[in-house]
Amino acid sequence: MSSTPQEHGVGLAPLRQRKERRYPTPPDGVQTDAGAPIRASSLWRDAWYRYIRNRAAVIAGVAFLVLVAYCLIWPIVSPYDPYAVDFSQASDGPSLAHPFGTDQFGRDLFTRTALGGRVSIGIGFAATFVILTIGVTYGAIAGFLGGFVDNGLMRVLDALYGLPYLPFAIIVLAIFGGGNFWTMVVALSIASWFTTARIVRGQIITLKENDYVRAAHAVGARWLRVLGRHLLPNTLGVLVIAVFLELPGVILGEAFLSFIGLGISPPDASWGSMAQDGYRAYRTAPHIIIVPSVAIAYLILCANFIADGLRDALDPRTRET
Amino acid sequence: MTRLIIRRVLWTVPVILLVILMTFLLMRQIEGNPFRHSERAIPESIQRNLEAKYGLDDPWYVQYVRYVRDVATFDLGPSLVLRNRDVNDIVREHFPPSLELGALAMLFALVFGIPLGLLAALRANKWPDYSAMVVANVGFAVPSFLVATLLIYFFAVRWGDIFDVPTSGWDTWQSKILPTIALGLGPMAYFARLTRGSVLETLQQDYIRTARAKGLRRRRVVVVHTLRNSLIPVVTAAGPILGFLITGSFVIEQIFAIPGIGRYYVTAVTARDYSVVMGLTVLLAMIVIIANMVVDILYGILDPRTREAR
Repeated sequence: MSSTPQEHGVGLAPLRQRKERRYPTPPDGVQTDAGAPIRASSLWRDAWYRYIRNRAAVIAGVAFLVLVAYCLIWPIVSPYDPYAVDFSQASDGPSLAHPFGTDQFGRDLFTRTALGGRVSIGIGFAATFVILTIGVTYGAIAGFLGGFVDNGLMRVLDALYGLPYLPFAIIVLAIFGGGNFWTMVVALSIASWFTTARIVRGQIITLKENDYVRAAHAVGARWLRVLGRHLLPNTLGVLVIAVFLELPGVILGEAFLSFIGLGISPPDASWGSMAQDGYRAYRTAPHIIIVPSVAIAYLILCANFIADGLRDALDPRTRET
Repeated sequence: MTRLIIRRVLWTVPVILLVILMTFLLMRQIEGNPFRHSERAIPESIQRNLEAKYGLDDPWYVQYVRYVRDVATFDLGPSLVLRNRDVNDIVREHFPPSLELGALAMLFALVFGIPLGLLAALRANKWPDYSAMVVANVGFAVPSFLVATLLIYFFAVRWGDIFDVPTSGWDTWQSKILPTIALGLGPMAYFARLTRGSVLETLQQDYIRTARAKGLRRRRVVVVHTLRNSLIPVVTAAGPILGFLITGSFVIEQIFAIPGIGRYYVTAVTARDYSVVMGLTVLLAMIVIIANMVVDILYGILDPRTREAR
């Protein structure tokens, strides 16, 4: 637990005092309240206490929720049509009517950023889900079977580690003949699951040595039950962390692909395609590329701090980068 | 140690075969080929002849084995779109700028990232730490195309009269400055965070306390005892970072009009130039795989504890 809130150097002092009073933190794993229900000290509750103590992570979590709410709600209530072209107010800088300004087609960037966020964040979570599914399957097989299967599977991973996913993503997009929501999900997940597989395998191997797993084997539980009932549920903590570790890479991947014109294409908005629009006009109206890029940076910052907080909260023993 | 190295080197062979197979099978899923999807109407018989010439009518495993055999002799085959040109020619022409850009960005990232992280760790929870970490976190989160665009905007458009840096091409040394910074900023931030965490951990080790207790000068404790032992995670990260640099260069090369491999790659995919895409993907993958191998071996040399484990 080396990550104290002050370390990150962001935050608001009054907020912290109120938080501490509202959530008195019991020592790890110990329930001090007499007569409290036994479930009160579950892993998730402890984790919640630990997370809430990390100020940077709490702020990042709130900021993230605000962003998601803005992306979901604003396009519905916005007074502007995000597709309506109006050259009379093209490339306007930020103003009261258009807080983020307008793009070169006169479309309101505040609305389009929310719309693009739906696509970018949606692709981000969907691809992360696919990555985790493949990674968990591969890692669980390797970790559970062990022996030469594990050895072979892991050596392959060792060597593929760090392989750039972008060339493969580009090939996949060429197969589908273009980028839309689902082809982007496939493209971004096809060569990105190596790290997750590795993490899950490590977790399964550690868990396998636990007494309760041996006990389950001893009382005659079949392997499927041991795997599904005792091993996989206990990897959930690592997977929650993995969601926020994978998200930045996937969001950036979408942005890169759309930026070079292979991903989401106009008039559909994603942060990457908006950045591409903005790049065309950066000399006269730099705000058009700055707005979606800052949205990406904001999301990645949030995800990083959330992942840090979750790691401290859920998995205090293993802190590796 | 020698056995470890031999085993690690031999192991890359099946992995490279696997990556070639992966790419090969993926490529085959792309609809059409450059002869069938051409603007010019090519008669059916000529199409068949062309396909026969390039071996596209053989079963896939025959093509695969032939391809692997060619790669083993450093022959990546002819381009399907540009007549009379080999993939080898294209690699020879477009690879050096990419390699140079990657190397410069890596150098930039190491030269600025490690001191930044070290400074942050030695002044932990004081203002140098805070400012360094704000730089690192923001640098890590901002997409490289924004960094590139802003660099061009400020140094070439806004203050163009003062600086006069070229914003496209890859010939003079001035033209290499902005792309290097744009590509290297992300890895720099990453190295800074990595170094900071690692140094903080090392500082708590007993041997650091011993070194201090026996009265060594602070400078020596930091450089010899702390930094050297803290750099292991940085070395480990070098492999993935190389992948990141290659990936990032797709965008950077596009923006700065650098005639590198990333820019050519996109062109080749759209033109369905199979052999070029295959060749470039296999080449990129091989670079990363070999870099991983070197890192693993270095790791074994730097940290003797890992030798038995592997």
